Amino acid sequence: MLELDRITKRFGRVTVADSLSLAVRPGEAVGVVGPNGAGKTSLFGIISGDLAPDAGEVRFDGRPVTRLDASARCRLGIGRTYQVPRPFEGMTVLENLLVAAEQGAGARGRAGLSLAIRVLAETGLTELADRPAERLGLLHRKRLELARALSTRPKLLLLDEVAGGLTDPEVTELVEIIATARARDGLAVIWIEHVVRALTGTVDRLLCLAAGRIIGDGRPEEVLAAPAVREVFLGTDPR
Amino acid sequence: MTRVIAATVLLLALAAVPYTLGPVAEQPLIGLFSLVALATLWNLLAGFAGLTSFGQQAYLGIGAYALYLLAARGLDPFLGIPLAALVAGAVAVPVSFPVLRLSGGHFAVATWVLAEIFRLAVTLSPALGGNTGVALPGLGGYEPLVRQAVTYWWALGLAACSVLGVWLLARGGFGLRARAVQSDPVAAASSGVRVDRTRRWAYCLAASGTGAVGALLFVYTLYVQPGSIFGVQYSVSMMFMVLIGGIGTIEGPVAGALIFFGLQQALSGYGPWYLVLLGAVAIAVTLFAPRGLWGRLGRPVFPIGYRLE
Repeated sequence: MLELDRITKRFGRVTVADSLSLAVRPGEAVGVVGPNGAGKTSLFGIISGDLAPDAGEVRFDGRPVTRLDASARCRLGIGRTYQVPRPFEGMTVLENLLVAAEQGAGARGRAGLSLAIRVLAETGLTELADRPAERLGLLHRKRLELARALSTRPKLLLLDEVAGGLTDPEVTELVEIIATARARDGLAVIWIEHVVRALTGTVDRLLCLAAGRIIGDGRPEEVLAAPAVREVFLGTDPR
Repeated sequence: MTRVIAATVLLLALAAVPYTLGPVAEQPLIGLFSLVALATLWNLLAGFAGLTSFGQQAYLGIGAYALYLLAARGLDPFLGIPLAALVAGAVAVPVSFPVLRLSGGHFAVATWVLAEIFRLAVTLSPALGGNTGVALPGLGGYEPLVRQAVTYWWALGLAACSVLGVWLLARGGFGLRARAVQSDPVAAASSGVRVDRTRRWAYCLAASGTGAVGALLFVYTLYVQPGSIFGVQYSVSMMFMVLIGGIGTIEGPVAGALIFFGLQQALSGYGPWYLVLLGAVAIAVTLFAPRGLWGRLGRPVFPIGYRLE
């Protein structure tokens, strides 16, 4: 459903994607690990349309989307979260989801409202629905980030460290929310996470990225055991 | 329901002013209504779509000069007001493409420069009277009293339509999109919002309404000069009204227009000190009520946004 074909992206002398190719099947859950600066978040930018690659092609559902902007790609079914949550401040939690439901999922009027209300319930935000987004704590900001992405009714969900900074029980809850959404909608997930423990229960495939290249791709335990992967983590055990 | 009745009664009372209070009240109220319309339209741009413009005077001038060209061809100037609005909106469409590539301070400066370009273009056009300006033809058929009353009703209509129109836009899907774009354009785009289109609509609608006010000011003063109609002080006063009243609300710009109008009336005898006092008011309000006076003291009469309850 998603194909990256020899994507290259450089910022000055730093290469964040080095002729990188990747294919993700419908419903697949792919984890992404890698050291800081490996190009993980840039990869999401290239998939979601926030970042234009210098070379290569992005295809989604069989059609090239490289020239489409982030808004058009979202409407095609690519939903994303940001590592540092970017809620719409000055708007309530419900309104944040309504924007995504109306614009991203194309659910106008009542349909949009009921979609937003359903996502509120699924993500445990119903009680905070009328609270301005800027008055949320980190946990709820992370939840809102996930809820807003889910409200666009994505076929492919890009999760950028949604578990970062959360306590263990909070991570468990978050993992459950994602598992429920996947079970119902069959959406594919690409999930960047430093908290590898959050990934291993969810993903069936793990990528390890370093310097804009994929240096490991396969079953999570195999990738984490591979010498090349262990080397980039410089002795720190990724497990 | 009480709100609708109250608003209707207020509108009817204001509409009856030419018969009740007469010409003495009409003159200042025409000024007040144009301020209400201008502040409300600037708020549509800055308060909802996040576009802080210093160049709305461009559309005041375009509206006024469009009215001149229409009236010179024999059109009744009052009927020319909505057409002048259309012309201003139509000019804004191509202009929006370059200026909306910018944001923040760059956008503000670009709109200002653009207004100066329009001013220079008019100054250099003999057909538009050049630097000396032009008088509005075609109003000779109206009795002065009738003319002023009709001008008054147009002013009231423009103010009422601006407030109602911006409220309807702000409380619906457009308001939701615009507020998301204002808050975080990047996150709005990845939530599926067509950021450019949303900004373009806000820009062109505000331009169109501002063009109508420009035409109205021309009908009221009967004379237009590029040096005054294209003056940046118009944008400054729009910003002043919106900021002291309460940005991003429907009531704020109206309250701001009332305060600005009151200050104008009360302080006009003090010469340059008037500007110093306006500045002092602006600083005080920004410090003590950053969300504007209505944002701090008032309760929403025209609610926007969605609540779960």
